[in-house]
Amino acid sequence: MKSNNIWQAVLGEIELSISHGNFITWFKNTQLVSDFDGNIIIGVNNIFVKQQLEKKFIDNIKAILQKNGVQVKNISFEIQNINHEDSTDINNEVVEDLEEIHQKDKIHQQLTNSLSHTYRQGLNEKYTFDNFIVGDGNELAFAACQAIVSQPGTRYNPLFIYGGVGIGKTHLIQAVGNYLVKNNNFSKVLYISTEQFVQEFVDALRFRKTADFVSHYRTADVLIVDDVQFIAGKEKIQEEFFHTFNALHQANKQIIISSDKPPKDIPTLEERLKSRFAWGMSIDMQNPDFETRCAIIKIKASEQGVDLTNDVVEFLANNIQTNIRELEGALNQLLAFCEMRQLEPNLTITSSLFSSIKSRPKHLSSRQIIEKTARYFQIQMEDILGAKRDKDIVVPRQVAMYILRSELHLSFPKIAKELGRKDHTTAIHSVDKIEKESKINMEIKKAITEITEKLYV
Amino acid sequence: MKLQVTQENLNKALMSVSRIASSRSTLPILANVLIKTTNNLLTISATNLSLAITHSIGAKISQEGSITVPARLMQDYVSSLPADIIELEVENNKLKLKTKNYTSTINGISADDYPEMPSIDKPSKFTIQSSSLKEALSEVVLVASNDETRPVLTGILFDSNEHGFLIAATDSYRLAEKKLTSLKKDFKLLIPASSIQDLLRILPDENITINIEYDDNQIKFNVNEIELLTRLLSGQYPDYQALIPKKFEIKATVDKQSMISIVKIANLFARETAGSIKINIKNNLVEINSIASQIGENNSSTEAQTSGQGEITLNAKYLLDALNVINSNKVDFNFNGKLEPILVTPNNQKNYLHIIMPLKS
Repeated sequence: MKSNNIWQAVLGEIELSISHGNFITWFKNTQLVSDFDGNIIIGVNNIFVKQQLEKKFIDNIKAILQKNGVQVKNISFEIQNINHEDSTDINNEVVEDLEEIHQKDKIHQQLTNSLSHTYRQGLNEKYTFDNFIVGDGNELAFAACQAIVSQPGTRYNPLFIYGGVGIGKTHLIQAVGNYLVKNNNFSKVLYISTEQFVQEFVDALRFRKTADFVSHYRTADVLIVDDVQFIAGKEKIQEEFFHTFNALHQANKQIIISSDKPPKDIPTLEERLKSRFAWGMSIDMQNPDFETRCAIIKIKASEQGVDLTNDVVEFLANNIQTNIRELEGALNQLLAFCEMRQLEPNLTITSSLFSSIKSRPKHLSSRQIIEKTARYFQIQMEDILGAKRDKDIVVPRQVAMYILRSELHLSFPKIAKELGRKDHTTAIHSVDKIEKESKINMEIKKAITEITEKLYV
Repeated sequence: MKLQVTQENLNKALMSVSRIASSRSTLPILANVLIKTTNNLLTISATNLSLAITHSIGAKISQEGSITVPARLMQDYVSSLPADIIELEVENNKLKLKTKNYTSTINGISADDYPEMPSIDKPSKFTIQSSSLKEALSEVVLVASNDETRPVLTGILFDSNEHGFLIAATDSYRLAEKKLTSLKKDFKLLIPASSIQDLLRILPDENITINIEYDDNQIKFNVNEIELLTRLLSGQYPDYQALIPKKFEIKATVDKQSMISIVKIANLFARETAGSIKINIKNNLVEINSIASQIGENNSSTEAQTSGQGEITLNAKYLLDALNVINSNKVDFNFNGKLEPILVTPNNQKNYLHIIMPLKS
């Protein structure tokens, strides 16, 4: 048995015989240094551990070693400082830090020298610029990201990208991170979803590790934050994020943020954060147009080794307009269907498969729709279902009816019943009215898209 | 164990020791203090496995023994007792404390489970006066980093050679160095700044001689009846000497108090920019400017003796830290313009220097 394995066996056995706290405190970071001729030397962290092991555990260790067939004459402990980094590296790094942090041409060099390994927290390598499809809706965002990777931290800092679900925000910002890690040797690129940031912050508070948390984020070279809208309403975290943001921005570190709406529309976001988010550049990413959708389908299909005919591509692009995520879902569904039955995908199969596309999504209930609508308009569900006819309740009620019709394809009498109305003509009138209104009234149109989006998230 | 001890002595010992005991450790017994009789002395000790403090006090011991009890409870209890004689008795891992009017029992854990207080086998030794050590450490310690990703920077460097004894710290944004008279010994020790904070707490106000013992991995300070032992950090400390500029073009000598007050004022307007203030030196005037786009801006100045002119942007907090530890009525500023570090020293004293990196403005 190799010496390393022997020590693992000893640790394993000891762990079972003593309390967890004892094991962690005394045996973590111990190692077998040498076992020459029955003279066992064990490396430990500090004198406290050394003395404790000598006093309490030496017989135990000896017995287990012998059980594992090791000859033991003498066991001694040696204090070793376990160093994770090469100290000369640190030396250089600090000297550089202290010397000239200010001359721009040195920044790059310093970053490349600063750490021997690179950080790439949270980045998924499958997102790259190469497989990002540029179309009308995302041209500007793509160009801005290209500019950023050529000179991180100097142009468009922070970059704020917003747009609906499933149109490639995450893909684009992850691509920036991946590119920088790969091509610029950027030492510390952090990608984090806001939800994760919140979670880590809460944990840091709980385990009193806020200092670690703070220094982890403030030493990033590039910080990418996804779905920042979820920070809304969390004051303490906004404050922490604010300071992190400032520290990085001031050090000319690149910050990239994505959200589903522009900063000014994120409710309960503090003013100072709003103004900061809008500081560099905010870019709206739009839903892809028809041509882009076609291109996406083609590329995704060829990634899976399938060539689709143009009519199939166009059928899919025409029928699924909401977002790219659904487009991919539909494509995968088609390809899986054909693969299982060993068929070549063609228009007949596609259209029969997706004729049911208009059928009711199974996971949605009418109650969910009414609830989401009520929440969007910030009114009580009882009001929507109740008898009140105030304008600020009537409109949401009508919108709910419209969405029940458009998404679930319910019959009018059923819609009326769901909302506690007696007469199905009310439902017909409401759906008609909203259908017309939504073409001219942007408020209503926005409400419908946002509620619908939330249903499918 | 059975003994009698005065409340004052016991309280004093618990005060210096119990702070070390932490309830956050993975090992529950580390939240306790060890109470033990040795050679007719009562010793109170605690450790957090990086540092250990033992305080010995006189007591009338009628039966030897030892126990560990929760540090917080013990300290809170003893400090609220009146100044009187306390009788301590251990029975079945319970500590009985008796005074005239109070009797209580604290559940403890056997001292066998408590980590042994370490000793240094073949120590090297030196001595130093506590007043100069205390002064030097308090002028340097706040500069050390608390970023655990670069462990060497969380330490305070004791660098002794023929020419002098240097105590230094840096967090790579600033640097402080104090030069003490030579000990005529050669060593380089790197002590965790957190241990130095604890050492500062137990250093007395009056001047005494401190005996220090060390080997490759630990160092022990004997301060009167208290022993503090801490592990040493390993690793190569950055060669910071190379970074101290040798020549300066711009110099100013300012009254320390008026400098502190204008920096404080400027700092009010620098919250938004994380404390960045612009310092402008010209024509016998030091002028500070800070701008907060949302709040407003500030311009303050104070008289100075200057030579040369130029400006530099600094972090107000770092500057205040430096000014607050400098022990002199007047301070000297020396720098070479925006991009190079600024040197802050007490006026006409060569034994202390504080260097701050400028911010990009």
